[in-house]
Amino acid sequence: MRHKFCFATATATAILCAGFSLSAQAEELVVGSFGGSFADNVKACHVAAFEKATGATVSLKLGNSSQFAAAIRATAGKPDMDIVYIDNSLAAQTQGEKLNEIIDRKKLKNAGDVIASAWGKDDAYVVAMVSATALVYNPKLVKTPPTSWLDLADPAYTGKYAIGDISGTSGLHYLLALNKLKGGTLENIDPGIEAIKPIAKGSAVLYTQADQLLSLFEREEIAIAPWYPDRAGVAIDKGLSLAVAYPKEGAVGILPAVIIPKGTAKSELAHKFLDQILSAEGQGCFSERAYIGAVNTKVKLSDKLQKIVPNGESLEKAWFVDPEIVAKNSANWTRRWQREVAR
Amino acid sequence: MIAPRHGLMLLAPLALVLTGFFLLPVLMMLPTSFREYAPGTGIAPGVWTLENYTRIVTDDYYREVIWRTLGLGLFVTLACLLLGYPLAFLIARGPERWRVPLILLVIFPMMLNLVVRSFGWIALLSNRGLVNNLLIQLGLIATPLKLMFNLTGLMIGLTHIYLPFMVLMLVAAIRNVPRDVEAAAGTLGSSRLHVFAAVTLPLSAPGILAGSILVFVLTISALVTPRMLGGPTYKVMATLIYDEYMQLLDWPSGSALSFALTAMAIGVIWLSSRLTKRWAGMA
Repeated sequence: MRHKFCFATATATAILCAGFSLSAQAEELVVGSFGGSFADNVKACHVAAFEKATGATVSLKLGNSSQFAAAIRATAGKPDMDIVYIDNSLAAQTQGEKLNEIIDRKKLKNAGDVIASAWGKDDAYVVAMVSATALVYNPKLVKTPPTSWLDLADPAYTGKYAIGDISGTSGLHYLLALNKLKGGTLENIDPGIEAIKPIAKGSAVLYTQADQLLSLFEREEIAIAPWYPDRAGVAIDKGLSLAVAYPKEGAVGILPAVIIPKGTAKSELAHKFLDQILSAEGQGCFSERAYIGAVNTKVKLSDKLQKIVPNGESLEKAWFVDPEIVAKNSANWTRRWQREVAR
Repeated sequence: MIAPRHGLMLLAPLALVLTGFFLLPVLMMLPTSFREYAPGTGIAPGVWTLENYTRIVTDDYYREVIWRTLGLGLFVTLACLLLGYPLAFLIARGPERWRVPLILLVIFPMMLNLVVRSFGWIALLSNRGLVNNLLIQLGLIATPLKLMFNLTGLMIGLTHIYLPFMVLMLVAAIRNVPRDVEAAAGTLGSSRLHVFAAVTLPLSAPGILAGSILVFVLTISALVTPRMLGGPTYKVMATLIYDEYMQLLDWPSGSALSFALTAMAIGVIWLSSRLTKRWAGMA
């Protein structure tokens, strides 16, 4: 009995010691990332190579851009994340609140290969990939591919389409695209609000999570939706009948960025992780897996990707809304949406 | 009898925990609710304003959400009371051997995570959910009934989730009603229905009050179920506050709305306990 007890104590101590020494050896980097397939791709393309090269471990904290912005503000100066994937408009918001560490390009081997327009104001953030809000449709149900944002209002699609709520990027982008089409400006979105009212009323659902559309497309509840080519590409790989159409008025660009919150104790390691994100391998891997455009000029897209990812003409036509204007106005736009569109 | 000094000591651990982990954090939010928020640059330093509060009264969207929240709280409480009282009566007064299985049945849903239970309701209530599919296949309806993203969906979901609280409160109260008093009323010629209405019901008033307050407060502050079953179009105060904080990043406005919700909850509790006391003759 006594022996058994001693043995058990010894084992427990050994396990505890092993645990402690492990945590003492490997430095841990906390990375804020979007969930779903995005997180899987981050693990495969950015985390694996980084862990191998540095010996550090990465723990992913999942959330969406505004949750991350809220968390960075709440922990101002003592962030619980060391590096964060975040939409560029919210990167501009946290920069406006002086919560971003300035990225030191000298610490990044791959900085030179990154297109100049990817760098945010004062290098407070860097855009890591290029996607868009475009039209995604089911070719089994839609015989002639859609060509315009206004196609959703076509009586043929009555009850068979879904648009996003303004809390998601695609909802905001669709509102802004309609607004521009109807002669509105970023200072005056009245035309957009008027145009989207009937479309929102007829929408099967105002989706709040991107992957909510998967089951709607799968059950053929909807035939068409403003959605993301990257999500569509991944869904096509999984066997869903989907295709991407870039409206003639131009898609609306999405630029997921990366920031290093001010005050992190692991700035060096965070820069190394950022370097991996921006490297040709990291970018190419992510593009292939996630159907997303790269910011590293050395990455070449495969033929399969070119049909889906914004590139060439679709990229030239895409509208990249000034992130600072979005950051300044999105609260007011959301309030108007709540009161006039979703009510 | 416990002396007041000892009573205070017994209260101290809870009071300390509440002060440290509830009252202080809440009070720390109070200054935030008087600040001004500038989108793009954050909370403006050194600027104080009452606007976050005045807007709640002047903006008809906020007013609509407030009335909707209060109405929802009232309806869910009534539904829980109507469904819960007969059940609680059966548990308290029914055959002894039914008591444990029935109580287990009542608490069983509480062992499941709230998110899972709300997802269950989505599977049942959505446009292509079980309920609508069944009705369509039976030929009773042609187009799906709107059971989600409106009052119906929230009523169903929240009533199901908060019913156990009401039942447990009522069981205890009904069991506390002295059978002698009921028997006395019966001996004096009261019908069984009259005994129930004039004796049992008023004597179980403390349980009705406690259960109603609990369900009401839980309902008006519920976040997860309204987010899932109410969606982006059917907002209640809790989801609105969440949006102000997490989506619009307008913390001052979110804090002001939170304090308004708290004030309303306290007001309603105070009012209802006064009314119930008068009705039950406790005043």
